[in-house]
Amino acid sequence: MAEEPKETLRKRLGGLEQMPSIPVALAPLLRYLEQPLESLDVQQVVDLISADKSLTAQCLHMANSPLFGRSQTTDSIRGAVLALGMQRMRDIAISCSVLQITPNGSASLDPTVFWEHSMGCALVCRRFAKRVGFKNPEKAYLAGLLHDLGILVNLWVLPKEFGAAFELARTRHIPLHEAECSTLGLTHCDSGRMLAEQWQLTPELIEIISFHHDVKNGTSDRANLALVSLSDLLCRMSGLGHGFVEERQIDFLDEPAFALLSQECPSLKAFDWARLTFELEGYVDEVHRLVALLYRPK
Amino acid sequence: MGSAASVKKPEPALAPPDPQLLRIRDLVYQVAGIFQPDNKLRLLDDRCSKRMQVLGVGSLREYYECLTVKPIRQAELVALLNEITIGETCFFRNQPQLEALRNIVIPQILEARVKLPLRHLRLWSAACSTGEEPYTLSMLLLEESAGRLKGWTFEILATDLNERSIAQAKHGIYGDYSTRNVTSYFRQKYFMERGENLHVRPEVQAHVNFSRLNFLDDARMAFMKGLDLIMCCNALIYFDGASKRRVIQHFYNNLLPHGYLFLGHSESLYGVSDDFRLVHLPSATAYMKRDKRVVAR
Repeated sequence: MAEEPKETLRKRLGGLEQMPSIPVALAPLLRYLEQPLESLDVQQVVDLISADKSLTAQCLHMANSPLFGRSQTTDSIRGAVLALGMQRMRDIAISCSVLQITPNGSASLDPTVFWEHSMGCALVCRRFAKRVGFKNPEKAYLAGLLHDLGILVNLWVLPKEFGAAFELARTRHIPLHEAECSTLGLTHCDSGRMLAEQWQLTPELIEIISFHHDVKNGTSDRANLALVSLSDLLCRMSGLGHGFVEERQIDFLDEPAFALLSQECPSLKAFDWARLTFELEGYVDEVHRLVALLYRPK
Repeated sequence: MGSAASVKKPEPALAPPDPQLLRIRDLVYQVAGIFQPDNKLRLLDDRCSKRMQVLGVGSLREYYECLTVKPIRQAELVALLNEITIGETCFFRNQPQLEALRNIVIPQILEARVKLPLRHLRLWSAACSTGEEPYTLSMLLLEESAGRLKGWTFEILATDLNERSIAQAKHGIYGDYSTRNVTSYFRQKYFMERGENLHVRPEVQAHVNFSRLNFLDDARMAFMKGLDLIMCCNALIYFDGASKRRVIQHFYNNLLPHGYLFLGHSESLYGVSDDFRLVHLPSATAYMKRDKRVVAR
């Protein structure tokens, strides 16, 4: 059990004092990218990304990865924006920005593994959303990328306590949120919610971060919430989880998130889960390669 | 904190996949049920190039036609599938599948079996080729015999269409290529050295019964009853839709209610049968019988 009672942990989390803020150079870019896509100016985005050398290099790595569907190598941000389009470039810029608040290292969950899971989940969400006919699959990408934000909070604010939860999950081969719940009395969903609210993310994103392990509590974009929940589970079952094997057997049709998503997407009943799983296997190596390029702890 | 300040230029990107190659990938999946993920596309490209050389075909577009509209299409699909699956037979071929079998599937089967009177497991390696798969299963179960399987007996039925493969399997002698995934632990415990080759020990062989079997022989297929697990890797891909459904129906009848069906890596039953449900295991998938009493979802 945790050395500190749940309420004390909550207080420590509530302060979020140890959390780094988004790097200064990135704030104007993220603010600008919050505007509707059609009102964004290519040159403005190019200038804002180019203002940060590290971000520029990271964006180019991502833009040149087959995972982002580029058709030819580009060595300029302008080229990347023109080749991939503004929406995809926004995803890339946000991915790289959030990557910069990862802790240097951890005695428990390796931050590289965390990012591999987040990026893998984002890519599965986008592919899955396209397959079931979501109007805006990029929205699913962002939700997939950020769904486990609370793990970062736990790594920063509760490293020791989270370490114990992680160890329990790793040795018992159980899902991380179950181990957090029994060890800390709260999960990364609770801590993620606090950061998401502080960052003033959209209500839909806050719900996805808060309820991706408990989808029945969702009220706003329930289809996206269910889709992220299923994609997260698929990643964890396919070698892109939290760095340990969850020893369990899953029938996706029995998942509460499946029932929820089916209400919104009738096509899901005939969905080819096997193909999505095999496609994910095809990402794994590239996700490892890309995260190794993007994320280099000091 | 993540930093890429030292990274000046992006790495050269791989060439994007040829849309014709993606069409071939989709065709192979649709017709044969085996999928080549993005990280295997280069391999698929190589295999297609090999076949294109044999046929004297200059482009993937033309080759796609060979696989679809030309009179040779059926034979060519078989030739391409042979290329795709070539060299896959070896001991401990699919590690995640075997791990899942040992850590999750066997315990589940034992739990279900508790209600049955006989403490005996019956497994079927349905397309066993030269025997590497059934012997691997035998070794894994022997490993469990002092633990989970204490007090249990087991048998492994091993069948293949090819008489010569069966004969070779019965000898149980293997070279470097087949045994490349065998760890030194298993090598010492379950093999004997025979010159440059390895010979499977008699106690491993004792649990495996080899015989020739044609999946389309309904009478013999109906005879394979009371199974806990069927492994059928890279065999159904060669059957047309109707024959595949017939074989799958047999598998359904052959398996006990708690039984598992394992297919080859990236092989799927999608669009072939609604009698089975897909289950996900860590880095592996399997099929289980759907309870027909449950109203379709």
